[in-house]
Amino acid sequence: MTLIHAQSVTKRFGGVYALHGADFSAEAKEVHALLGENGAGKSTFIQILTGALRPDSGNLLLKAQPYSPRNPLEAQAAGVSAVFQELSLIPDLSIAQNIWFCREPRSIWRTISTRTLGRMTEELFFRYQFPTLRPDRLIRSLSLGERQIVEVAKALSRNPDALILDEATSAMPRRETEWLLGLVERLARSGKLVIFISHRLAEVRAIVDRITVFRNGATVATYESRSVSDDQIISDMLGRRLDRLYPHRHIAKRGPIALAIRGLSCDRRLTDVHLTVHAGEIMGISGLQGHGQRELFLSLFGATKSEGEIELWGKKVHIASPYRALRGTNPVALVPEDRRGQGLLLARSIGENLTLAVMRHFARFGFLNTRREEKLCTDISRVLNVKYHGFDQAVGTLSGGNQQKVVFGKMLLTKAKILLLYDPTRGVDVGTKGEIFQLMRKLASDGYAILFYSSDLSEISNVADRVAVLQRGRVVAVLSGEDVVEPVILRWAMSGIDNAN
Amino acid sequence: MLTSAVSRSDKSTTKIMSIPHGERLRIHLMNQVAVLMACTMFGVLVVIYSSFRGGVFSLYELNTDAATTVPLLLAAAGQTIVLLRGGIDLSIGGVISLTTVLAATRFPGNDWSMACWIVAVVAIGGLAGAANGLLISLLRLQPFLVTLATWSMLAGTALIILPTDGGHIPDGWTTAGNLTAVGLSTPVWILILLGLFWCWFSRTRLGLAIRATGSAEKSAFLSGVSLPMIDISTYCLSGVFAALSGLFLVTQTATGSPTVGNDYILPTVAAAVIGGVSLFGGRGSLFGTILGAAILTVIGNLVFALQISSFWQPVASGVVLLIAVLGSSLAERSANREGI
Repeated sequence: MTLIHAQSVTKRFGGVYALHGADFSAEAKEVHALLGENGAGKSTFIQILTGALRPDSGNLLLKAQPYSPRNPLEAQAAGVSAVFQELSLIPDLSIAQNIWFCREPRSIWRTISTRTLGRMTEELFFRYQFPTLRPDRLIRSLSLGERQIVEVAKALSRNPDALILDEATSAMPRRETEWLLGLVERLARSGKLVIFISHRLAEVRAIVDRITVFRNGATVATYESRSVSDDQIISDMLGRRLDRLYPHRHIAKRGPIALAIRGLSCDRRLTDVHLTVHAGEIMGISGLQGHGQRELFLSLFGATKSEGEIELWGKKVHIASPYRALRGTNPVALVPEDRRGQGLLLARSIGENLTLAVMRHFARFGFLNTRREEKLCTDISRVLNVKYHGFDQAVGTLSGGNQQKVVFGKMLLTKAKILLLYDPTRGVDVGTKGEIFQLMRKLASDGYAILFYSSDLSEISNVADRVAVLQRGRVVAVLSGEDVVEPVILRWAMSGIDNAN
Repeated sequence: MLTSAVSRSDKSTTKIMSIPHGERLRIHLMNQVAVLMACTMFGVLVVIYSSFRGGVFSLYELNTDAATTVPLLLAAAGQTIVLLRGGIDLSIGGVISLTTVLAATRFPGNDWSMACWIVAVVAIGGLAGAANGLLISLLRLQPFLVTLATWSMLAGTALIILPTDGGHIPDGWTTAGNLTAVGLSTPVWILILLGLFWCWFSRTRLGLAIRATGSAEKSAFLSGVSLPMIDISTYCLSGVFAALSGLFLVTQTATGSPTVGNDYILPTVAAAVIGGVSLFGGRGSLFGTILGAAILTVIGNLVFALQISSFWQPVASGVVLLIAVLGSSLAERSANREGI
């Protein structure tokens, strides 16, 4: 049975077509992937399906009935629920309060019972076999991955006919991702439609029945997942054949030791870490999620308190704050995990974002020299291939990939030669990912030292020269050469953990 | 994949039960650092106070202190709701002044027509608040500036009606504010009612939605909260509480004052913050504010008992406020660390 049918949907923002004749058809009992580069119109289409936007023209049918939700609530009432990349949870409420928010059952006194909500939540978790989460925990105390799990629970609590997962796995560690993929299969088997949007092609291939590819706001093709090759999908997404996602790993000459870490510890989450990184190399940091990767990056950037010795280019330093990290004689720059919250001022312009960290270079007598600023921004944006209208454009209006490029630009302008890249490709489309890897390789061969963490293991194994594997805050192995492959990394990351449990 | 998911979740269901109770308690306490600090400060202050004066733990002391605290506390209750929404309400000063002035000039001796006037005065407070909410949500204006403007307008109106302190409060009404039942005076009963109100209100959908909207406006909106509805009811409640505060105040002063409300604006914010209410919205409770108001009262009493200049009272209040702000910022940091 065709559940959702969309025909020649068009949506324009100003003079730009976000969608231009998009067709889409999906049935109950299937997992349907929607793929496309950033800016291909996926998000716009999903927003139309969920009532966040209204189309300019086109036909939408839900269960063969005309369907035009005016807001997300109408869409949910009609049976379409979505889990968005932009999380919609309230940090100061508990998990249970968030899941049933605005729909709580009430007593005769019109009050909400915490116990009832907790029980309903546990029932919901049990029914869909959710991982352990106490219903009374506050959202602010959860990791990004856990929050995404709660988002999924919230969407399922409305018992929708169609569930849309927009990059729902982007912040999830491997175990939770596996759980979610299992859940998606079970949901489809029980008669629901799951529309799945992800940048991780491998993940998509494992579970979906059909794939629809969008490009430049229009539908390119819909095919059975079994009968199509990865190359076909990628070339349809890009409109050209992607040369190579990962750059060649030529054995660059290793320069001097740029970064030496001795006995670094941080708040029980990082214990006695020893590590050296040379100029010209990309050092991958891997491990299961939450085993100290984040603390390592934050300590090196001075964003969290730590003990131990850090040497930059042979000189012992004490990095007390990000200010010191950026302005020391040997600056260190970070691409943070959450670019919206930590890396960018979304409401400010591209130019302001780029130069925020290095304003003093453009200032004379306390005033900014805007002409020099603009010239440097133009140069850096050309290098990075950022797509924009003008420097006064707010960063929040750029696509995810382009936002990440602005973060990179900001970092490069700091003149730091030691770069800490924490999951720099999260929520970034395939095309931009390739560009980011090329850039990293080029920077390394220019003598930069790069520390690279990714939640996608295949990126680490394909990009890094060496890989340090963290487990419970300790470096359990530093792999190089032929050992830099997924199975070896994973074995080290999990070694000892199964036994301990 | 399916089977592995099943077995894993079975394991995790048992895990729910096995979370150590101590850990749970520790996290809970961490979240309550600000309130715990307010409790400690209150305890310390009371102990110091009782060492200077006898009879501190008497019903008489409770009744008199409640009478001093309740005008501030009623206004602070409204302010707490506004702060939880992430706003601020300066106009309560104007509402309190206007209420006392109306009571002093318009209240008749007749009980029934006075009851009508009381309802009217509360409605005026509610309407003024609703107007604040309307301006803030529909025109998307800053709460600080909107309520600054309405404060000025209301305070001006009060001055037009009664240019200087004076007027007369009917005896019927002053008596109502100073009754005693079961050994407890009217203000103590108001305190109890306020506590009951909060037990109920914080568990209603509106109470939860106000706190949620203060915590994350956009998320609340996406979950189906009507922002204008929230803002109008928040500021309307604040106006109603300010009017109640003014109505109780005149039973103690027996006179109308067109400027008295101005002295309450910032102390309401101070009481809430000392009690652990976040200025950024989303966190805190009226019980904290009650504690905060009580601390401010004890400081006043202490200054009086020490027989030093009353100008020391704001100095001491400021110190306590600083300690409270420090406490909530520590709580904030620990909460963020828990988040990792």
